[in-house]
Amino acid sequence: MARRIHILPDAVANQIAAGEVVERPASVVKELVENALDARATRVEIAVERGGKRRIRVSDDGVGMGREDSLLCLDRHATSKISHAEDLKGIRTFGFRGEAVPSIAAVSRLTMETHDADDEVGTRIVMDGGRIAAVDDFPRQRGTTMEIRNLFFNAPARAKFLKSVSAETRAISEVVTSLALANPRVGFSLTSDDRVLLDLAPAADAGGRVAQIWGGKDAGSLVSVTGEAGGMEIEGLVQRPDAAQPGLRRAHLFVNGRPFRSANLIRAAERGYRTTIPHGARPWIFLYVRVPGGEVDVNVHPAKAEVRFRDDSRVEELVETAIRAALDHEASAATFDSSPRGPSHPMAVREPPPREAPEAQMALFTSSMEGSPSGDAGVAPLPVVEAPRPRLWQVLNTYILAETRDGILIVDQHSAHERVLFQRLMDAYEAGGQTGQRLLFPLTMRLTQAEYRQVEELGGLLGRAGFEVEGFGGDTVIVHAVPNPHPYFDAERAFREMIDELTHGSELVRSAKNQHERIAMTFACKGAIKAGQRLSPREMQELFDELFATELPHHDVHGRPTIVRLSAAELERKFGR
Amino acid sequence: MNFTITRQNLHAGLAAVSASIPSKTTLPVLSNILFEARDDSVWMNGTDLDVAVRIKVPADVKEAGSLTAPGKKLQEITRELPDAPVEVATRGDQIELSCGRSRFKLNGLPADEFPTLPSISFDDAWTVKGKDLHSLIHHTSFAVSTEESRPILNGVLWELRDGAMRMVATNGHRLARMSIPAQSSDVPSADFIVPPAALQQVQRLFKDDDTLEVSRDGNHLGFRSGSAEIFTRLIEGTYPNYEQVIPKDNDKKAIVSKKLLESAVRRMAVVASDQTHRIRLTFEDGRVHLSVLTPDLGEGHDELELDYAGEALEIGFNANYLLEVLKYMPTEEVCIAFKAPERAATIEPVASGGDAMDLLCLVMPLRLLD
Repeated sequence: MARRIHILPDAVANQIAAGEVVERPASVVKELVENALDARATRVEIAVERGGKRRIRVSDDGVGMGREDSLLCLDRHATSKISHAEDLKGIRTFGFRGEAVPSIAAVSRLTMETHDADDEVGTRIVMDGGRIAAVDDFPRQRGTTMEIRNLFFNAPARAKFLKSVSAETRAISEVVTSLALANPRVGFSLTSDDRVLLDLAPAADAGGRVAQIWGGKDAGSLVSVTGEAGGMEIEGLVQRPDAAQPGLRRAHLFVNGRPFRSANLIRAAERGYRTTIPHGARPWIFLYVRVPGGEVDVNVHPAKAEVRFRDDSRVEELVETAIRAALDHEASAATFDSSPRGPSHPMAVREPPPREAPEAQMALFTSSMEGSPSGDAGVAPLPVVEAPRPRLWQVLNTYILAETRDGILIVDQHSAHERVLFQRLMDAYEAGGQTGQRLLFPLTMRLTQAEYRQVEELGGLLGRAGFEVEGFGGDTVIVHAVPNPHPYFDAERAFREMIDELTHGSELVRSAKNQHERIAMTFACKGAIKAGQRLSPREMQELFDELFATELPHHDVHGRPTIVRLSAAELERKFGR
Repeated sequence: MNFTITRQNLHAGLAAVSASIPSKTTLPVLSNILFEARDDSVWMNGTDLDVAVRIKVPADVKEAGSLTAPGKKLQEITRELPDAPVEVATRGDQIELSCGRSRFKLNGLPADEFPTLPSISFDDAWTVKGKDLHSLIHHTSFAVSTEESRPILNGVLWELRDGAMRMVATNGHRLARMSIPAQSSDVPSADFIVPPAALQQVQRLFKDDDTLEVSRDGNHLGFRSGSAEIFTRLIEGTYPNYEQVIPKDNDKKAIVSKKLLESAVRRMAVVASDQTHRIRLTFEDGRVHLSVLTPDLGEGHDELELDYAGEALEIGFNANYLLEVLKYMPTEEVCIAFKAPERAATIEPVASGGDAMDLLCLVMPLRLLD
């Protein structure tokens, strides 16, 4: 009886395996660059032709390989990176399966040139569709060069699925960019058909790498994020909310230096931005997560594009709180002009300062000058000056200026008050509700049918916001009580505008995550003191203090900045000092 | 223009007028006082375009004429002059002051640049006792609204009736109403909505024993007594029907010492929220428990004995509204009356013998959610 089942020849097995690891030229580039990085390269040069379909060349200055190792590495499951199953738990290298090089070799014409410091001369191995065609001595400096030509020449089914040259080039560029971000201290270059796409010298930190890739202006719009919880650490850079634009997002996530994709973590990051950016804005996010080896499983996906955390929700929570804390920091406020602030030490771990209103310039005479000047008893003691507070000026009845130790803060009174009212109502919702002042003359309002239905639907929440609304039959409502957030509050107008916006929708309303937020946002937006409202010094001080007591003082509910900083350095530059 | 005047008369006139001059204005002539010299007196006029004040002082007029001159500067100079006759003369648009050996020349502006004050005839005027008017203003005008969305509430409603007059002010959250019997006159009933700034000038310039003439011309109201006149623009519109919102059936009544309640409320207010100023009052048999609980800050409790026999009732108030109302209560004891926690509370003076003042204040409660 003929046997139907047989063991596949190695060549076929490798071709099948290649299907998992080697999808397209970009995955070849990824595997080869990761090998170079595992070999402790300080510079990796990548050159591709025709989107990598014709030729991919990756050369590094890493440790290289001796003759025996270089032959062995072409065998499946040959790896220098792990030796026992237990090692899988604490993987610190990019590669570990020992699958990549043989898989690539099986579907291409591969030339490997390598030299390690111990051997006198380097080695060159030429392979053709997985079979060794030649092994020679080859002069080379320390390191390894892999050249892959005619990828998928013997797998026409797969070759057919390759995309256009430009699409493949773009994919390669993304892979290299991501790896370059993960390894800022390594130099990278990428050329495509003799065009230089990237040429990155070793950078000091991720901020420097971002500046190399996208320019200083974009890098200047980033603020650093740090966080730590239960042995996990997170560092990174995220975009200031005022710089976040809709459209193309740059989101790069790394765990223990390895790029990975996770829609859930991106969503967690966006939750950190909640109420500071307009709906649809896509802030740039670069996050480097470090977790103990046992906390993450990278052996989930053949291309290692996805990882599995032992506890996803803890990582998500860390990301959200770290970003929220970063946005709370004064550095996330808009700057006076758009010139780069330069991420001088964006990755340096900084203690977030205790949240309080920035201190004012010290007065000339402070209480530290204790007692009266010695000498004549006739001299009256110096008046004790109270602890200095920011001196506040109102400009154009719209902005409040405050002097700080480091320059000037300009606060938009409407935006600032929006943030205050939003926070106040959200806190009040948590505690039961906001106080409503009963009205002597209740407001009677005619609404459209849609508005009326909206009011009916939101009745309870509006009530807890302080608006006591009663249907009056037809499409008329009577408002018996209203919140009284400030002396200039026009309850009727605010209520009308709120209902209009809640009924007909707006970008603001869409950006809210639940009904509470929708109401709090519209209440904040419609109820806040307007631009043009003259404020007394006491009112300005109260607004200032309350703003800095909120969770996110630097941004209003639309994501616009509440505060613009004009630093001493910027002033000096303007005056050419 | 040329006149001689005593320093005291000049100073008194300038002091009376300059309070009506706006401190900041985009119209330079408004910071000036208009002098009009004729016969044996000088009229001084000042206005901020809403309220105008006109004062007549005796002077020895050598040459009639008029000119405007900087009010505050003249007042400051006059204050420092020696007690001697002051000679005032004009040369072109300049005003010259000489007193003893002091000489001043100040730049003025021609009289025709000064706004024309409304000409109101006092022929068919109401007559009002200064004391009555002062009492009405004092006890009600504190309650006007300062919020701009309902301009009508920015004024005090003044009702003149045959045999009585009444003032009402409210900001929609609290209200004050006071009536006083008035001698009947032949002039018909009238309602005015008067800006509080004008009433302030009335309080300042007229004395209790003055008899005022009050007259209306179109949209303006004039007050006159002796040598002082005040003109004001009236607020146009219909005042809300306040009678309808004043509860008639508040049957839970508490009689309490105004002073004790005031100081207890003031203590509670310290711990109340800066935004809502909410405090809580719980009335029980013979006592009221005051409390305040402000998240992030803390709480406070207090108790007073009072005369209360109704059902127990818990009600929230804006402490500031309560304090304002108590402040203007003229008696040592006050009566607070309620119907329900969401209904208006009324506060009235309790007369100890003699005539009770017809004053009623009303405060709308704050909702208690917890």
